[in-house]
Amino acid sequence: MALFEIRNLTFTYPGQEKPALTDLSFSLEQGEFLVVCGKSGCGKSTLLRHFKTAMSPYGERKGHILLEGRELDTVSVREQGARIGYVLQSPDNQLVTDKVWHELAFGLENLGYETGTIRLRVAEMASFFGIQTWFEKNVEELSGGQKQLLNLAAVMAMQPDLLVLDEPTSQLDPLAAGDFLATLRKINAELGTTILIIEHRLEEVLAYADRVMVMENGRILALDEPAKLPARTRDNDMFRAMPVPMRIFEALSGEGFSPVTVREGREWLEGWMKNREAAGSSGEETRQDGGYREAASEVVIEARDVWFRYEKKLPDVVRDLNLTVRKGELYCLLGGNGTGKSTTLSLLGRIRKPYRGKLYLKGKELGKYRESELYGAVLGILPQNPQCLFVKDTVEKDLREMSKDEERLRDVIAKTEIGHLMNSHPYDLSGGEQQRAALAKVLLLNPEIILLDEPTKGLDGFYKQKLAEILKGLTKEGRTILMVSHDIEFCAEYGDTCALFFHGGVVTSAPARQFFAGNSFYTTAANRMARKWYPDAVTAKDVIERCRES
Amino acid sequence: MDAFSGYHPLINFTYFTIVIGLSMFYMHPVFLALSLAGSVSYSVYLKGRKTVKVFLIGMLPVCLLTMVMNPLFSHAGATMLFYMRNGNPVTLESIMYGLASGLMLAGVISWFSVFHEVMTSDKFMYLFGKVVPAFSLLLSMTLRFVPRFTAQIKRVAESQQCIGRNVNNGKLYERAAHGLKILSITTTWALENSVETADSMKSRAYGLRGRTNFSIYRFDRRDGALLAFLLGTTGVLLTCMHLRKLKILYFPVFIMNETTTGAVILYILYGILCMLPLILNILEDIKWRSLRSEI
Repeated sequence: MALFEIRNLTFTYPGQEKPALTDLSFSLEQGEFLVVCGKSGCGKSTLLRHFKTAMSPYGERKGHILLEGRELDTVSVREQGARIGYVLQSPDNQLVTDKVWHELAFGLENLGYETGTIRLRVAEMASFFGIQTWFEKNVEELSGGQKQLLNLAAVMAMQPDLLVLDEPTSQLDPLAAGDFLATLRKINAELGTTILIIEHRLEEVLAYADRVMVMENGRILALDEPAKLPARTRDNDMFRAMPVPMRIFEALSGEGFSPVTVREGREWLEGWMKNREAAGSSGEETRQDGGYREAASEVVIEARDVWFRYEKKLPDVVRDLNLTVRKGELYCLLGGNGTGKSTTLSLLGRIRKPYRGKLYLKGKELGKYRESELYGAVLGILPQNPQCLFVKDTVEKDLREMSKDEERLRDVIAKTEIGHLMNSHPYDLSGGEQQRAALAKVLLLNPEIILLDEPTKGLDGFYKQKLAEILKGLTKEGRTILMVSHDIEFCAEYGDTCALFFHGGVVTSAPARQFFAGNSFYTTAANRMARKWYPDAVTAKDVIERCRES
Repeated sequence: MDAFSGYHPLINFTYFTIVIGLSMFYMHPVFLALSLAGSVSYSVYLKGRKTVKVFLIGMLPVCLLTMVMNPLFSHAGATMLFYMRNGNPVTLESIMYGLASGLMLAGVISWFSVFHEVMTSDKFMYLFGKVVPAFSLLLSMTLRFVPRFTAQIKRVAESQQCIGRNVNNGKLYERAAHGLKILSITTTWALENSVETADSMKSRAYGLRGRTNFSIYRFDRRDGALLAFLLGTTGVLLTCMHLRKLKILYFPVFIMNETTTGAVILYILYGILCMLPLILNILEDIKWRSLRSEI
């Protein structure tokens, strides 16, 4: 019998005419790993909240939700609490207590277990997740990835049958996200826990998934195995969010089972190449890449031998940093966590000062700018969490605070496409919308240089593309953008110059294509998949074009 | 690792209640000196040389001040030494009392500084969580909330700085307005985020009847033995004080018990009590050394 069965579920939020979920029917088998994806606002979060009565949103609901054949509403809170676990988006907000051990025990305390049982369960979970080493720490001391693992462990301590996760990795960097998903995979494989997860980093999670549900406008667009997905979604916007091997597969043949991982993609491409050679087409040829401009324009940002540490006794965070960014560029600073990228941004933003070396903006030393001049026409900074920029209760008020100039206001609103959001509270916007509203606020200062810290964090493919279009528009106007990012795919596709940041400094910087073609680990999925044949193909589009050409 | 902190929170708490209580309410000079010696030496053991500096700069002046001030304002006592210019007498008894008060103050302050080090928030929470279960969770959540809130204020302020709207930008009026705005939005932020925290609590079955309190502490035999010792010693001391084996009187005349064998035994007992954490630590150190030499 299926663990969960949803029959004709229709749900409407109060005061809205259009239902958020329309006539959904599907079942969730015991031990299944089901991934849900879709554009933001497609109803996937609303759907996930229906798997537990305590989490269900208010509104009008029709249809049935059955847990092992029983109506979910009739199952006791105690049973639901223990058997259905939720992990939500924000690693921070979910933590209730101040100590790691207390957090692990929290759910079990609520269920009223005595100390002996709790001790055993907590010990089991801590060992399974490898938490022993930070067991007695304050939760404040943990990294984002550790916090999210702790949230997962705290839920798992209650030994649920079903684990529901709502974009659990969106606030994590790629490494921590990979760890998290691998742990989920381990839970699924070793404990047999059923997993229902919303995720937009499909590259990794699809390798683990049994089935994928693609949602659109509150309906199920497709529900199938990952390998059959391209055929079901090819005419949809969501197709762009699919992993690179799938996109290449679909563009080149689209018949049979699609590869999901890079390895499968490479194997498939191998076969495809053989077939084509058998059909007698031309062999390898490397194409000269004429896609980038010669570096001729004026230098806008320059760092010369910059060193920085937070305190005298602490190690250097930025060491011997040299950097030149030219006018009109989209410059991407890539690199792992804790290498000093964000600190570099704060140095350029004059929030912190280097203890050695000089920084120049537009040829003038950073320290010589007056405050009003620097944070106006020269420099605009978008912090990692765009929420920090908002101070008013509607987007409109927030923007009007920056500028009284109606024309400028209209122009910026049009550019960032936030016209429909003017009356919303900034905190009610989705991640991508917040990002754009915050960008609008910065743009109202009319800065020539814009610094962005992880602008693609937590955005789905659709919003990323929108952001890219806006950024490209800004560089065309002659503004210079320096962004710090983990997002290789985004930088490869849209960046002009990419630099690898490591150990406090820039190791190498080159035009985007050249940069990725030269790396072997630190490069895009498309490049890893096709480098054997086309070492300079960096994006999925490149690979497809090259394959078609020859 | 401090050996005394490794004992059960109940032991830690009982111990501090006893020594701080006795130091505060029993102004026997020998006891005061022992108490001060015990607390200062333990605090040096725990926190190193820094304490000595804090003690010399911070505490000593306060104690000296108490010693000097008391005879200037209190004129009780029978033994007059001389008259001040305004005609009030300075008495031997009030000087003695001032001296004792200074010692007492120093002792209690330094006991509290050690208390703070040993009784961490989770120990405190564990003890009082048993009495009022809701309090323990509330305290834990507060301890989590406060650092988050301050960190967010800092983040917002930095972001506002970059658009020229921090508390140090603009005219006085504008600065105040910026500060207020930052505070208000951070409050909104906290409320907004608490929704998700509430969800997380609800989804983990918070609110059911019969919630228990888990802790990582266990009251073992070693704790039992030490508790018995603590209570026994305190019992003996209190009984002897009650039976006037020890006595102290400051006014109208200074009277102290004679140094009999019985009194010396009691002094030693109290000395052991005050030095207890240090003794436990030293015993532990010796044990480690012998363990190591066996390897």
